[in-house]
Amino acid sequence: DSHVQYERVGADVTMKCGSMDWDAAVTWTANGTDIDESHLNGSYLILKNVDLMQSGQYSCYEGSSWHLKYQTYLRVGTPPKEPVLMCRSNNYPKGFYCSWHLPTPTYIPNTFNISVIHGTKEMVCEKDAVPKNRCHIRYLQLFSTVKYKVTLTVTNPLGKNFTTLTFDEFAIVKPDPPESVVAKPVPNNPRRLEVSWQNPSSWPDPESFPLKFFLRYRPLILDQWQHVELSDGTSHTITDAYAGKEYIIQVAAKDNDIGTWSDWSVAVHATPWTEEPKHLTTEAQITETTSASTSSFMAPPTTKICDKGAMVGSGAVAVCWTAGLVVAAYSVLFI
Amino acid sequence: MAGADGASAALQRRDLCARGIRLAGKMRSDVVDLLEAYAERQGLDASASVAAVEGVPAAAVERWDEQTGTQRLLENLAAYRAFRALLAQMLEEHREQLGEADTALGRALAAVLLQVSAFAYHLEELLRLESRGTPGQEEEEEEEDGPPPQPHGLFEQKLRGLGVLRELAQWAVRSARDLRQLAKPSPAASSAPGPAESP
Repeated sequence: DSHVQYERVGADVTMKCGSMDWDAAVTWTANGTDIDESHLNGSYLILKNVDLMQSGQYSCYEGSSWHLKYQTYLRVGTPPKEPVLMCRSNNYPKGFYCSWHLPTPTYIPNTFNISVIHGTKEMVCEKDAVPKNRCHIRYLQLFSTVKYKVTLTVTNPLGKNFTTLTFDEFAIVKPDPPESVVAKPVPNNPRRLEVSWQNPSSWPDPESFPLKFFLRYRPLILDQWQHVELSDGTSHTITDAYAGKEYIIQVAAKDNDIGTWSDWSVAVHATPWTEEPKHLTTEAQITETTSASTSSFMAPPTTKICDKGAMVGSGAVAVCWTAGLVVAAYSVLFI
Repeated sequence: MAGADGASAALQRRDLCARGIRLAGKMRSDVVDLLEAYAERQGLDASASVAAVEGVPAAAVERWDEQTGTQRLLENLAAYRAFRALLAQMLEEHREQLGEADTALGRALAAVLLQVSAFAYHLEELLRLESRGTPGQEEEEEEEDGPPPQPHGLFEQKLRGLGVLRELAQWAVRSARDLRQLAKPSPAASSAPGPAESP
């Protein structure tokens, strides 16, 4: 006969060959491969300190006839650790969902059981088909000060464990991030970016349960974020962007009155409008040999700045006073 | 009803609702601060579960989304009238315990009581607007059910005070939601038959 046997990692396992006597001559196989006699005590198979790799099908055959006398599927695993449970309402005021997982795998099948109690009332958490480790509940009451108590129990053939979460109706409200975030430059405005977004589609009634938003933005070259909180509307114009710099922008949402901020939206990138340089392709070819300067900071190369007779000072800090005047004039212009 | 009257009433309602929502928001913020100060002063845990206290209107409601506008206003009004009496009692108890010493907590209690009274009055105005054309409603008169039941011991008083403030904070959130529903231009928002639908 064939069945499944669950054992803990590190355990010592003794397998009997069905109803065969201890001193019967038998052969054991693991996944079709003969097991060495050193693992046998009479007809018993002894596996010490089993590990995960030893999971598999074990079969026992009578010595001479090779009749299959016993077969078992050994599954090595661990009892469950305390599960991790999270409950959240991203569709307030319709309801909330709870999801869970184990911090470490058990390597054997687990069963999860969830109970939700509100005051004295037991509520049913309907399991989602996908993902499997999630269930949802419809609110029967709103604005209740009575806490919800959710208990998740996980059981497998080697043991069980549980965790409990207690919370207020308001505390678990956390919308999904805003959707369709778009950032665009504003024509003829080198320091502006227009950002718009939409309410998360999972939020059922933004008119009665309006969301407020938090926008953050920074140029890629800097680490520091700028923040703006917006109590209504789904758009905002950034007016202090650095000209010509690419920006990264994100938005988060929160119910106007209760709960916590959503995660940040997907980041969008945008660069403010910049003026196209006008004379680049035509005059540059004509003026390439002349002294027309492209930068105000540079003196025209063919202009003689000064001659030795006009030097002021001595040694390393000798300064041509004409050059000094020129530099001083440009400095004043750009302060 | 003439179209102009209906439009004017709708505008008035929206305006009163908008103001009411702002009042409720401010009230909630002050009640939350008061709740924390009260709990600390009384040596209680602000987040501890408190069993439903007799005479304190619970904000919890089933099928909230199915309520009519008038139902919302009536329930809100009944609640805030009850809170007015409860807060007045708390203030009285506070003064009895501390004599005439004008403490910050006492002042905060008085301020919230004032806001609750103002909000109740605001709701009465909204109800008058909603009930226009339906005379003889008993909500136009003050409902006096008598003073709220008196808690016996000091500890009972403290727990009750916590319960009162916690439910009031919850009501302030509910009221803002109720007023937003009321402000919606929908025929279901009011129990009174509205004017012919305009495009």
